Amino acid sequence: MITIENLTKKFGDNTAVEDISFDINESEIFGFLGPNGAGKTTTIRILSTLISPTSGKITIDNRDSLSNGEYVRSITGLLTESPGMYEKISAYDNLEYYSSFYNIPVSTRKNNIEKYLKMFDLWDRKDDLAGTYSKGMKQKLALSRALIHEPKILLLDEPTAGLDPESAHMVRIFIESLKKERTTVFLCTHNLEEASNLSDRVCIIKKRIIRIATLSELQNNDKNKRAEIVFTDDADRYIRLLEGTFGVKVIHTEKNIAILVIEKPEISNPLIIKKLIDSGAGILYFNEVKATLEEIYLDLIKDENTK
Amino acid sequence: MKKAGIIFKKEIKEVIRNKNIWLPILIITAIFSIAIPLFIILGSSSLLSDEDTMNFINKMFGHVDDPIRVLIGFALNQLLIFLLILPAMVPSLIAPSSVIMEKENNTLEPLLATPVKTSELLLGKSLTAWVPAFFISTISFIILTIVVDIAAFIKLDYAPLPNIEWIIVAFLLSPILSFILTMASIIVSSRSTDIRSAQGIGAVIIFPIYLIIGLQLAGLFLLNITYLLIGCLVLLAICPLVLKLAVKVFDRENILTRWKMKG
Repeated sequence: MITIENLTKKFGDNTAVEDISFDINESEIFGFLGPNGAGKTTTIRILSTLISPTSGKITIDNRDSLSNGEYVRSITGLLTESPGMYEKISAYDNLEYYSSFYNIPVSTRKNNIEKYLKMFDLWDRKDDLAGTYSKGMKQKLALSRALIHEPKILLLDEPTAGLDPESAHMVRIFIESLKKERTTVFLCTHNLEEASNLSDRVCIIKKRIIRIATLSELQNNDKNKRAEIVFTDDADRYIRLLEGTFGVKVIHTEKNIAILVIEKPEISNPLIIKKLIDSGAGILYFNEVKATLEEIYLDLIKDENTK
Repeated sequence: MKKAGIIFKKEIKEVIRNKNIWLPILIITAIFSIAIPLFIILGSSSLLSDEDTMNFINKMFGHVDDPIRVLIGFALNQLLIFLLILPAMVPSLIAPSSVIMEKENNTLEPLLATPVKTSELLLGKSLTAWVPAFFISTISFIILTIVVDIAAFIKLDYAPLPNIEWIIVAFLLSPILSFILTMASIIVSSRSTDIRSAQGIGAVIIFPIYLIIGLQLAGLFLLNITYLLIGCLVLLAICPLVLKLAVKVFDRENILTRWKMKG
């Protein structure tokens, strides 16, 4: 559905994104992660044809996006980071205004406005000025705006920012449900748990792409395989014995629990267990634990920063 | 074009609701279309009893048979030029707020993400500033005409307006000036940090109008049909230049990444 080839965007001397390439499949939820200034908003603006790349090629729905900007904008819905609305007109009129730029029949437009306002619990306040809405309500209204023409591609920049937990949960369930409707979702977020739960694949960038993979691919990387050892007593005294041996890296210890990264666990684990038992340790559990996306992300960004 | 119409329709409703735009316009219309012409016409006899006024008329026009008519004709010319303040002021009040407020409210990016073309957006925004400017200045000219003709007819038994100068100013000079100001406001908005500084362009453009009036009152210059037509031609020549510049500045990427706005 989306193909980006060697995309670079420069603003004067400042490079916002450099030589990034990836494909996004139809109905895929693609998490796009990175620290502030990593180029996420620039990429989303390029995908929505708001700005042009300095070099590189973007193909959206089999068309070159540069020469088909109007078409691309007609099949994409954009949720911007700041959910700006015309504050002096009603929520309904806001949606009516934006939807009138799409080539959809008036009756469908009206149905869609009603559908999304009801879906996000805004229907009862549809005639209130958008300026009287809370931040969370504006965010839901902005999401309705992005969906109003039922786009094939949804570009979401921080979709749950500013939402209360209940509304955020509702939005996440909704995003997940879009897969059934074959909508492709490009999800920029700082909420790594959200990205982890929703995304089919994640892309971590910091101007350049650091990694693109599914969560399980990231977790199955040896570097991200972790072991949790639960001792019968204080973990620290036994863990000290392991440091510097068997490629063990201590991630965290607390009371009788230790989390370790172990290189080549299939070889090292039996040796580690033997050494611990020989030294008198009582082991309650020895489990494999999967690194969270947050841990993997922080690790990758840290590595990138030290380059 | 349809999308430009959608933008215009929505924006014009907001303009109509905005008292900050209407109030100064109403005050200026009342002063220059009603109060001043009434004062001049109804007080023309006493003005002519003043020696300085007669000296001024003699200096400007030589010996005249009907000094009242000459004085009123001269005063009306000044008023017509004064009324150009409206087509100059209205776009500079409307255009910057129409553009900058979009960015300040973070509504411009979602709008640009719709299939609207940049040219349609520019046209919609321009019409929002230009149409009220043309409408208001035409209404003001009509009010001026009615007020002047009634007052002059009662006092002097003749109706001096409309005349050729009136038609040139109302239907040529005024819309051309509005167009240039609309484009100038959009260009200036692109480099402004807030609405006030963008609106300052109106004050700058009004300065040449005061200069013309000042030169006439000093007896150095007398605006006539020829000068007005030359003025129209000069301004017409400027139109494509400001349009070209506005189109260049009003570019999607420029608007989003280079315009200095908050947010």
